[in-house]
Amino acid sequence: MDYILSGLIQAFELLFQGNPETYSAVKTTVLASSLSVVASMAIGSPLGFCLGYARFPGARPIRVVVDTLLALPTVVIGLLCYAFMSHRGPLGDLGLLFTIPGMAVGQTILGLPIVVALTANAVENLDHRLKRTLLTLGAEPHQLLLTSLWEARFALALAGAAAYGRIVSEVGISMMIGGNIKWHTRTITTAIAMETGKGQFAIGIALGLILITLALLVNLAMSRLKRLSGQ
Amino acid sequence: MNERLYHLENLTQVYGDRTVLDVDRLDIEIQTITGLIGPNGSGKSTLMRILAFLETPATGRVAFQGQPFSKVPLDLRRQVTMLSQEPYLLKRSVQANVSYGLKLRGISDTVHPVNRALLKVGLDPARFSHRSWRELSGGEAQRVALAARLVLKPKVLLLDEPTASVDRESSELIRHAALDARNRWGTTLIIISHQLTWLRQIADRILSMDYGRLTQVD
Repeated sequence: MDYILSGLIQAFELLFQGNPETYSAVKTTVLASSLSVVASMAIGSPLGFCLGYARFPGARPIRVVVDTLLALPTVVIGLLCYAFMSHRGPLGDLGLLFTIPGMAVGQTILGLPIVVALTANAVENLDHRLKRTLLTLGAEPHQLLLTSLWEARFALALAGAAAYGRIVSEVGISMMIGGNIKWHTRTITTAIAMETGKGQFAIGIALGLILITLALLVNLAMSRLKRLSGQ
Repeated sequence: MNERLYHLENLTQVYGDRTVLDVDRLDIEIQTITGLIGPNGSGKSTLMRILAFLETPATGRVAFQGQPFSKVPLDLRRQVTMLSQEPYLLKRSVQANVSYGLKLRGISDTVHPVNRALLKVGLDPARFSHRSWRELSGGEAQRVALAARLVLKPKVLLLDEPTASVDRESSELIRHAALDARNRWGTTLIIISHQLTWLRQIADRILSMDYGRLTQVD
């Protein structure tokens, strides 16, 4: 037990003394996950809206595919992205491998099904009186769509928070696409995995505490958003 | 003779294999108040939705201001607005709810019209305009929804059981607001209500609907 306790004490020292290696991993994590959440929302919200709002042939099989992708393992995403981004792959010339944008691409693929599925659910669950109300107030089709999207804004933000929670805690994509390069692509999760393997519990615990704090903040945001959306 | 606003002929509406509306002929003249009574499921609300351009009839002819149903342009359709029994308020403030229709029409200066509309339905703008939708009682929400229609100064106001879930005071306010709309802007009103006494106080004529068919009430 002693080494865990001393690790915890050292972790607080690292955090309060502003250990550059620790904060480099935090910075990389926040940067990559923020990029990927923005991309997931930008791509996933309109797709989810169409899937939840429009009635078209094939909508149900698409929903099944999206729901299945929710369980996509991060290492599989990492593997696929690696195959595409490596020098021999079709995207090799873009030089995305072992970069933060490359990690963000993989994490976007991870977050996308979450955003699409939750947005589609949110739009499907919009009050059935909304459309009729907007039409009787004189809304044109584009005004109908924009207002419906705005009415679902809390649920959309909830989708973003859920995607962020999943992305920030993943390790497979960051490890395979980022390569865990110190000062460059090392994230909180890859650093924890590596430091624990080396027996360096202090830095692992310090990063773990930050990760838990991030998860707590995301959960608090989600609770607040759930209350606002009336769920 | 008054100008004819709506003209319906041989109108039917069908849901599945059930005919819910079967109207041989109905004319609604401008600036009149028509009351509609009848049991639940008799087709009143279906008729209202057709008059509000929310539903397309299965067969028959509907004309609004002389224009066939399918060719009524947006600016004419925007002269018609409807308040349902359980109105939906947007997840915004009272001010934003009441001004929504004006903004759709490109009107940006909405504060004074919204305040006037709130006063018409008996809500003090100073107390209510910044309240959130979730801070309103059922009766207040109903009045805010009515204000959101009145602010548009509509040519046609369709009210589907506007007094069903409000107290007597709100019911009187709604009656006054409806009459005021007719007197000020020449609004034509069609009102569904189960309260025949209330309806008699406001309507020029009352029609009864049963099994989708209309008859005049004496």
